[in-house]
Parts: sequence; C-alpha cells; structure tokens
Amino acid sequence: MKRLLILLLVFITLLAAVSMAAAEVPIPPAPTRWATDTAGFMAPQALASVDQRLEAFERSTGNQVLVWIGTTTGDTPAEEWTVNAFAKWKVGRKGLDNGLILFLFAKDQKVRIEVGYGLEDKVPDVIASRIIRDVIVPRIQAGDRDGAVSAGVDALMSAIQPGAVSEKAAAPAAAAMQHQARPLSIPQMILLAILGLAFLVLLITHPGLAIYLLFSVLSGGRGGGGFSGGGGFSGGGGSSGGGGATGSW
Amino acid sequence: MGKWIALGILAVLVVACLIGGVFVAGTYNSLVSLDQKVQAQWGQVENVYQRRADLVPNLVQTVKGAAAFEKDTFTQVAEARAKVGQINAAGIANDPAAFAKFQQAQDGLSSALSRLMVVVERYPDLKATQNFRDLQAQLEGTENRIAVERMRFNEAAQAFNTKRLSFPTNLVAGFFGGRFNEKPYFKSQPGAETAPKVQF
Repeated sequence: MKRLLILLLVFITLLAAVSMAAAEVPIPPAPTRWATDTAGFMAPQALASVDQRLEAFERSTGNQVLVWIGTTTGDTPAEEWTVNAFAKWKVGRKGLDNGLILFLFAKDQKVRIEVGYGLEDKVPDVIASRIIRDVIVPRIQAGDRDGAVSAGVDALMSAIQPGAVSEKAAAPAAAAMQHQARPLSIPQMILLAILGLAFLVLLITHPGLAIYLLFSVLSGGRGGGGFSGGGGFSGGGGSSGGGGATGSW
Repeated sequence: MGKWIALGILAVLVVACLIGGVFVAGTYNSLVSLDQKVQAQWGQVENVYQRRADLVPNLVQTVKGAAAFEKDTFTQVAEARAKVGQINAAGIANDPAAFAKFQQAQDGLSSALSRLMVVVERYPDLKATQNFRDLQAQLEGTENRIAVERMRFNEAAQAFNTKRLSFPTNLVAGFFGGRFNEKPYFKSQPGAETAPKVQF
C-alpha cells in the first residue's frame, strides 16, 4: 500500500515536470475591458484611466485599441503569440480590421504593438517602432511604468486619429457617459421622429420588409462590439497580419 | 406487368443520377471555394514578399553610405533581389515545381539580408541613425508579416488538401484532371533558427 502511494507520488511529480517543461502559455479568453493588467504591472488608477480613454476613443472613432499586460509568452516568440491572440480576440470591426493591441510582457521585458490590417497605414511599422523606443521603453527604464503605458496609448491614439481623445477631456466624458444617457439635441429628435414615422408607414404598406429591416438593424448593431454590452469590450471580428513592432526594455 | 418493372427501374436510375449530380456539383463547389481561399491567401503571401523586395534598394542605399567596403555583401543582396524579381508569381500555388523555385529564391534573399544585418553590427554609428532604425523596423515588420501569411497559406492549403484527398471527394476531383491539384506547402528554411531575426 505504501509502495503504491510512493509510486503514485512519483508519477504525479513526473507529470508536473513534463507540463512545466512544455512552457506553452495558452492564449486567454478575450478581455472584457479595453485595458487589462494580469501582471500587476501598473497602478489600478492609472490602468482605469487608460481604460476609460480607450473606451471613449472607440466610442468617438470606432477604432478598437486595447492594452494587454501579461507576464510571459513562454517558448513561443512574442510576435507569434500576439498575432494568435489578435486572431482569437477578433479586435477591430469585421471588414474594417481597425483594431490595435499594445502588449507588454512583464517577465519577458517585451513590448509589442500588434496592428490590424485596417490600421497599417495609420500606424506603420516605423511609427509603432518609434513609439516603443522613444515613448514607452525610456519611461519604463526610468521606472515610470504607469506613464509609459499611458503615454504610449496617447501616442497610438493620436497616430490613428489626432485630437480624438485628449487626456484631460476623456476621463470626465467617459464617466458622464456611464452615469447618464446624453440628452438628445433638437435636430436629433426631429430626425428620430421622421425615421419613426417612415417606419410606421412602411409597417402598414410592406409589413414583411419592415420587420426584416428591424431585424437587420438590430443584428447589425451587435457587430460593432463594445457599444451594446453596457461598457464592456467585445471584439468585432477584425484580424491582423503581423504588422507592428517589437521592443524590449 | 413487364412495362411497369421497366418504368420502375428507369425511375430509380433517374433518381440515382439526380442524387449523383447534386453530390458532384456540391463537391465541385466546395473544392472551388477552398481553392479560392488558397488563391486569395497566395495573393497575401505575394504582397508581403513584394513589400520586402521593395524595401531592399532603400536599405542597401542606407547601409552603403556608412559601410562602403562591404562590396561582397551588397553584390549578394543585389543578386538575390534580382532572382526574386525574375519570378512570375502568377498561378504558382497550383504548380509544385514553380512553388519550390519561388521559395528557394525568397529564402536566398532572406539569407542575403540576414548577412547584411550581421555586417551592420560592425557599424555602431550606422545602427544609431534614425534612418537605419526605421528601415530596420520596416524589415522586421515585413519578415514577421511574411511568417504570418505563410502560416495562413499553409492552413488554407491544408484545408484544401484534406478535402481534396479524402474519400469520396478524391473521385470527383479526379474527373477534373489538373483543375484540383494538391497544393504545395511552405517549408521552413534549412537553418531557419539563424534566419533574419533582426534584434534591437
């Protein structure tokens, strides 16, 4: 009996050793926020501020920019791991591929910017590489991790769409959006009234078409990602082809 | 009585032909759709290789300015670049021999470029210039894109080949002769561990 127990113990140890040796780091499920820190790399407030800015950026420009901080990619090269993560999370909208992820791997001391196909002209490799080596890496080396991520994200956002979200304006705007629905302006109300009236007319003359329209509008809204979930991030079906840059600190 | 039996056999035959026709058409269509995916992905592969070829003259020009003595390296790069330029990439995804030649030429350029990057290590002044670092970032990004698109090409080719070679699709594919040839795969270069991994 005792011998059997020892045998079992040895077996378990061996199994553990084997699974340690194959240091494959599986790609986690898609994040639910715009900025995710699984490594305790940043201060929570700084992370929340970056998250709010990225949320506001998606709301105003439609581009999905994410920050994801992990510890390591294991034996897989960072570039391979990130392109697979991008494909799994489907960042950016389908057809537009307007997504981008800033990855940091704390233990590997690596930064990678993975650019969706649709943003390759806004953030070419040269710009991504400059942001890494001139904005992010020097700040991390100086010990300012929060500032590195924050400034890196700002640089990326202004490369994609200059002036869309400024650091000061974004936080209150995003907070306001979460707490109360914005009141409609008068032209918006008139437009809505006209659309509603047109729909009613259609419902009477062509009921089938009207119901089809209603369905297609409702299901079309889901593809956008991020808008419908009440604040959470969700991918829209975009893809990337390995564009971007990698750096280390 | 005999008339009815004959009619019954005829009806069974007609139904069998119909079912067979629908099956062949469905198989043919699914092969066409998988083939189109491979062709589209081949287009992507061509694109990223073209991107690298376009980068070469600029890169050589920049390095030449600072390291004019390394004539051999420049000649090698120029020759490899010329070989890549001679290849007509249309329709290669269906032709294993041309595919192998294409891959050989591209691998030649890969190793010539990696030798150029080794040479650059001896010129720290050059490495520090903004111009060179930008080119290095572009080359690095392009090599990474090549790796990604090659991998996706292999996935598309595998999907096609699996369908093409499995029973009973292989019978249908056989009817159409060379229309549905098995697709070749990209293989990793001999000594790929030392392939251009441009580090900062």
